[in-house]
Amino acid sequence: MATQSEFGHSACRNYEARLEDYLHGELRGADAQSVIEHWQSCPGCRARFEDAALSLRLLRAAEPSSDPGPGFARGVMARIRTAENEKLAVRANFWQPFVSFGWRFAATATLALMALVSYNVAWNHPAQPKVAAVRPTEGLDLLAPEPVRVSTTGDEVLMMFDGQR
Amino acid sequence: MNNVRKSMAASAQALTLPFQAGEKKVDDRELVHLSQQGDEAAFEELVRRHQQRVFALVAGILHRSDDVEDIAQQVFLKAYFGIKKFDQRAAFSTWLYKIAVNECWDYLRKRKVRPLIYEADLSEEQVSRLDGIVSSTRPPEGPNARTETREIVERMLDVLSEQDRQLLVLKEIEGFSVQELAEILHLNVNTVKVRLFRARGRIIDAYRRRLKPAGKSHAAPAGDRKE
Repeated sequence: MATQSEFGHSACRNYEARLEDYLHGELRGADAQSVIEHWQSCPGCRARFEDAALSLRLLRAAEPSSDPGPGFARGVMARIRTAENEKLAVRANFWQPFVSFGWRFAATATLALMALVSYNVAWNHPAQPKVAAVRPTEGLDLLAPEPVRVSTTGDEVLMMFDGQR
Repeated sequence: MNNVRKSMAASAQALTLPFQAGEKKVDDRELVHLSQQGDEAAFEELVRRHQQRVFALVAGILHRSDDVEDIAQQVFLKAYFGIKKFDQRAAFSTWLYKIAVNECWDYLRKRKVRPLIYEADLSEEQVSRLDGIVSSTRPPEGPNARTETREIVERMLDVLSEQDRQLLVLKEIEGFSVQELAEILHLNVNTVKVRLFRARGRIIDAYRRRLKPAGKSHAAPAGDRKE
C-alpha cells in the first residue's frame, strides 16, 4: 500500500522505514538487497527515496546550533544558587506568622501574669482563719452565750466529739 | 556572534576542569552520584558536558525563539533539583533530554503561539539560494552561509507538523540518532523512521511548490507517478 503525495509520488508503507535506513546506509546483506530490488521495481518508492536524498542535502547544509559557551554553565550555577536562596526565604516566610504569633502570645501572657501578681500584692488581706462553732446539741438556750470560737484545723472537732462520748 | 561563542567555547576547553584534571575522565554516573550528595562542582561539570546537546535540542524544538538559552538553563535547574530522584537506570543524557523536551512543550503550551510563516515569506533570493543548495552537491561554505541556510530551511520546515519538524531538525541538523529521538519523544523507533521519511517527502513537495511559479524544473520528480 502506498501513501500518495500532492505531486503524485508515493512510497509503499512497508518500505518507508527500510528506505529511511537505506538512506543512511544502515542496511546490510539480505535486507539491503530486498530494498534495492523493490526500489528498482517500484517507481513510487524510487521517487520518494530520491526526494528523501534531496531533503538530506538541504537539511545538512544548515548550521547546527553552536555551543552556548562557558558562560552558560556559570549562568546555570548562579541561577541554582539564587533558586536555593529563594527556597530558604520561602521556608522562612512560611514559619514567620507562627513565630510572630508565638511572640505575641508570650508577651500577652507575661503582661497578664504581671497584672495578676500586682493585684495580689496590692489587695492582700490576711486570710480568715477557719473557725469551728461548737453548739450544745441538747435543747436550745437563747440566753446562752455564743459558743467560743476557736481556731481549728478540723482535727479539734473530731477530738471534741470524742470527748463527749 | 557565533564566532564569539565558538572562541569562548574553545577557551573554556583550554581551562583545566576539576573532573578532567587527571588522565582518566570521570564518567557521568560518578558525577551524578557526587551531585546527588550535594557536590555542586560535579553538577557544573555535567552542565559543561551536556550543555551543547541540550542547547541544540531546545533550539531544535523552539525554532527562532529568543528564549532558547533561558529554557536550556531552566532544564539544568530542574535537573539539579530533581537529581536525587534520578535512579540512574537510564543514561543521564536521556533523562536530561526528556526534561528538556517537557520543558519545551510546557513553554510552547504557555505561549500558545507557533509563528505562522507563509510559503510566500521566502524572498526570490532565498528561493534561488535554496535552489543552489539542492542542485549543488557541495554544502554552502562559511558559517554565515550555513546560518542563513538554516534560516531558510527552518522556514521551509514550517509546512510540516510540529513533531515532524522537530524530528527532522533534531535528526539532520542537530545530529540526534533515531534511537535517541524515539526515547526522548516517547515514540517507537519504526514510527520515527516512517515519520522522518514522510516528512522528507513533504519538505521537498513544499520546495517544488515554491519553484513552480518561477518555472524551474530541474528538481522535478525523479521517479514516475504511482497509480
